[in-house]
Amino acid sequence: MEALAMKDSAVSHNGTERTLYPYVTGTSVIGMKYKDGVIMAADTGGSYGSTLRYKSLERIKSIGKHSLLGASGEISDFQEILRYLDELILYDNMWDDGNSLGPKEVHNYLTRVMYNRRNKFNPLWNSLVLGGVKNGQKYLGMVSMIGTHFEDNHVATGFGNHLARPILRAEWREDLSFEEAVKLMEKCLLVLLYRDRSAINKFQIAKITDEGVTISQPYALKTHWGFSAFQNPSKGAEGSWFINRIMQTGTRMLVEMAYW
Amino acid sequence: MFRNQYDTDVTTWSPAGRLFQVEYAMEAVKQGAAAVGLRSTSHVVLATVNKAASDLSSHQRKVFKIDDHIGVAIAGLTADGRVLSRYLRNECINHAFVYESPLPVSRLVVRLADKAQVCTQRSWKRPFGVGLLVAGLDETGAHLYYNCPSGNYFEYQAFAIGSRSQAAKTFLERRFESFNSYSRDELIKDALFAIKETLQGEKLTSSICTVAIVGSGEPFHMIDQKTLQEMIDAMEIKEDSAADEAPMQDEDKSTEAAPMDI
Repeated sequence: MEALAMKDSAVSHNGTERTLYPYVTGTSVIGMKYKDGVIMAADTGGSYGSTLRYKSLERIKSIGKHSLLGASGEISDFQEILRYLDELILYDNMWDDGNSLGPKEVHNYLTRVMYNRRNKFNPLWNSLVLGGVKNGQKYLGMVSMIGTHFEDNHVATGFGNHLARPILRAEWREDLSFEEAVKLMEKCLLVLLYRDRSAINKFQIAKITDEGVTISQPYALKTHWGFSAFQNPSKGAEGSWFINRIMQTGTRMLVEMAYW
Repeated sequence: MFRNQYDTDVTTWSPAGRLFQVEYAMEAVKQGAAAVGLRSTSHVVLATVNKAASDLSSHQRKVFKIDDHIGVAIAGLTADGRVLSRYLRNECINHAFVYESPLPVSRLVVRLADKAQVCTQRSWKRPFGVGLLVAGLDETGAHLYYNCPSGNYFEYQAFAIGSRSQAAKTFLERRFESFNSYSRDELIKDALFAIKETLQGEKLTSSICTVAIVGSGEPFHMIDQKTLQEMIDAMEIKEDSAADEAPMQDEDKSTEAAPMDI
């Protein structure tokens, strides 16, 4: 792990290089435990600042036999994390001894990686959601870019924290069936779609149980825009403050021009 | 084993394909005081004979707790054993720090074996002169391993190492098939019996042996002297009342005052 970290702090003529800002970013990821396991959802969009540049990014991946990892934030850093985990799982499989890394172990490993990078002032700019099931035990945790980590029955990153978690706090139950969990998830995703400008209407929902991992194909949610206020957008324009301001400014310009 | 011209360096092969220095290291294990290990499906017990350098000194420590779920008993050069225990403790705690979970026993013994192997292939090193019985519990069950100075390791249902360990091994060979179904207390009792076999007449008391156990819901710990002595006494009472075939037990009866003699 030391060798991999050294590559990141490349020294150029101007000094050391380190992550200062994210460039291509993914928005919220939501995860929740349900009766048989854990379900996680994210949209497939990658924003480049305010531009929705990439519309088919997979932001949820399976890790080993027992875990799912979802990420928001810098996509290239997410890909780097996947490379670290790939190597980790490979070595774990090579032991071939009946032991395997479960979601708890992967979560803790990621926490160490994120925290160590943060200490070097070169963070991996991601919020990670790690969910999984091992031997019937469900696990769901989160790690932020500064290494803050915790476990909970439902987690969300970014805007999801503000928009989705209040819904989950009110409506989540330990014994949700898969269908109920998907419905609850779609309710949260819909709110995010309406209110988060970096969200797109193309989602993947992933589920993990003791049997294995399933990641759905991308699909869209039905949205409703038939509100009466949207019918005639400029209906209230005349006499509105905006038009008045334009008239004001225009009149002042004419008066000033008269003086020249 | 006799001196020959191929036994000076650990990196010298004999024409018969043997590394004598490594074999001599294994002899050192046979000189140490006995240690036995037994395993059931849920518990592993380690027991050792504590030899004191003299009546004035304290006993040598031969059992080390490596982590909550792993412990070792050593036979041979105790200094080497202490150093290896420190290495094992380090490996366990590093794994727990990164992964927040206990290091699987099989992976720990492989690391230990690889460390021992290095010393059999460097001209400026010598093999470790200590054999370790590693007892541990992980998600794949209860395990007992024996790590050799040669870098080999094997998993066992039960094993004994050190001086007069053959007597213990013979005892264990008769009984091992039923160990998997043993209860915790039966396992400790058989460990004490096995240790007794290596004593050859000397009386078994809690001051000359150490017993440690690890099991599901029970972190690795040594059994305190008082409880141990009670178990030994209970063992002895059973012996006196039941008819026993082993010749050793008859000798014990003769040292205590027989009811007729008073």
